[in-house]
Amino acid sequence: MRLNNYWLLVAPLLLLVMALYAWPVINILWLSVTEPQAGLQNYEKLFASSSLARILWTTLRVCLLTTFGAVLAGYLVAYMMAHLASGERSWMLTFVLVSFWVSVLVRAFAWLTLLGRNGLLNGALISSGLTDEPITFVRNELGVLIGMIHYMIPYAVLPLLANMQGLDGRVMSASRSLGAGPLVTFRRIYLPLTMPGIFAASILVFVISLGFYVTPAILGGGRVLMAAEYISVQVLVTLQWGTASMLATLMLGGVLALMFTLSRFMKLSEVFGAKA
Amino acid sequence: MQDKNFFKELLTKSAEDFKAGRMDRRDFLGLCAVAGVATYAVSIGDAQAAADEIVFWNWGGDAVKCHTDSFGSPFSTDSGLGFKVDTSGPLQGKVKEMVDSGNITADVADADAFDAIALGKSGHLEAIDYSVVDKKKVLEGFAWDHGFSAIFYGYGFMYDSEKFGDNPPSTWADFFDTNKFAGKRSLYKWANGAIEGALLADGVAKADLYPCDVDRAISKIQSIKDDSIYWGSGAEASQMIIDGEVTMGMVWINRAKAVEADTKGRFKLVMNEAIAMPGAYIVPKGNPAGRENVMKFLASCQTPERQINMLSCHGMTPANPEAFAMIPDDLKRFAVTSAENIDKVVFNDPAWWAENGGDTLNRYLDAIG
Repeated sequence: MRLNNYWLLVAPLLLLVMALYAWPVINILWLSVTEPQAGLQNYEKLFASSSLARILWTTLRVCLLTTFGAVLAGYLVAYMMAHLASGERSWMLTFVLVSFWVSVLVRAFAWLTLLGRNGLLNGALISSGLTDEPITFVRNELGVLIGMIHYMIPYAVLPLLANMQGLDGRVMSASRSLGAGPLVTFRRIYLPLTMPGIFAASILVFVISLGFYVTPAILGGGRVLMAAEYISVQVLVTLQWGTASMLATLMLGGVLALMFTLSRFMKLSEVFGAKA
Repeated sequence: MQDKNFFKELLTKSAEDFKAGRMDRRDFLGLCAVAGVATYAVSIGDAQAAADEIVFWNWGGDAVKCHTDSFGSPFSTDSGLGFKVDTSGPLQGKVKEMVDSGNITADVADADAFDAIALGKSGHLEAIDYSVVDKKKVLEGFAWDHGFSAIFYGYGFMYDSEKFGDNPPSTWADFFDTNKFAGKRSLYKWANGAIEGALLADGVAKADLYPCDVDRAISKIQSIKDDSIYWGSGAEASQMIIDGEVTMGMVWINRAKAVEADTKGRFKLVMNEAIAMPGAYIVPKGNPAGRENVMKFLASCQTPERQINMLSCHGMTPANPEAFAMIPDDLKRFAVTSAENIDKVVFNDPAWWAENGGDTLNRYLDAIG
């Protein structure tokens, strides 16, 4: 195979990324087999300690539920935006983008104010007589899910919207003219056509959720320990850098394996919007 | 590594000389060039600044103003050295990383005594020079090879006086008794103090607390698991109380005064069986201002009046016995080492935490999750 000349153009950039990003990452991951001694003892801990397995399971469960919730909600928002007149759509897009600018910390505390024991919602529920005792929406896994889904919705909306706007509306019209009702048209035509968008949104949301730290720490009330926070504790407090980098390797490996598996079924470059 | 430190020291030294007029500008710049200043990320300004200022590494918030007003400014006035604060929080991992990387940017870190012991053992700290720092100005038992206490802080708990006003809780046993005292509890997420509180509640005598029976502590904590939430920062601890999320909450004692004020006295602090934590000022190995300067600064932090200022400003209790009698009346209730509290509190054993802290924390996190 002849080396494409374009590679020469990107080579300096590629080398820079290798030197400044890949190399340090490899160095950190290397610690997982060298700290405190050379060997696989850090990986053995995965089987020896039920607590690590539990943390990974919590992480996986919370991330999957977040992905489901955020993509579902994001789909509805994107669907509406795709079918609005362009003026209204840009207004909605502005709102979606503005939410990117609000810090994750502020949002977590805002949820506490809204949903806490003496929060607005509980206050309204109690004063209207719907409940006597405040409902615990936050400081538990439910709170973490609410906070994370809310944070991730814009990440789901954008790829879905791009996908939906690229669809040819005449396909749906054709379906209708051939006798299919709105539901059948949606299920058999629209939904399959938006699958690439759904996949893109799901991957994006899932991968970003894996690294969540602040939201679970605040809204979980210390009871929902996810991998990212656990890694930071091992690095900063207990100084078990071997365990930390083992978990980091595992998460990175998991994400890459996920991408690889998906790439067997679909063209990932198209999912992320590149035209072939 | 060796070369790097050598050049850094050489540069700092010549920066001092240059500043004092003992070296001319051209020689100084030449030396910087020879040492490859840029490679070492020490600009002329940095090297010069490093030599004549103390960088104090703390946890941000009110501590910035309080450390500066109480310790920094008076020291600058006396010594002519500058004073700067780095607020990124000197967790053990960060100190280790800073020293290992060779890019040392802080002179003093406001750390815990168990950090001083653990990091001293692993070779990441400068030894304290006790010919400059005075051991007699530290409560006995709180001066170690690589750090000493200038202040104490601690963990107590606060309770809702509207709920329990008639028969207020006064011990950790009450704190853990959710039948007698209904409602939720909040505890510190990083195990410290919570382990001791649980053991005291379970009937362990103050004198037999160490070595801690972690199993026993954890099963006690699990007994209130469904009624407990956990905080990671002082602000969170205060918020849980002020928002009424808990009826009793563990707090950093230095924050208690503000919480009492914010809740208009509804929540009250219990100092009986409070866990007194020795803070430790530690010096990362190879600190930029040099060992001599930093020891002078540390010694200045032992001045009783300055420690009292720290108490008024930030609620941190003096560790110099000369200062105990000077604690103002309105602060006695909140001070770990005041005459009315010193025999009621339990002093944390940093040696045990230095040795067992990591494993204990992981087991604790597992238990509350």
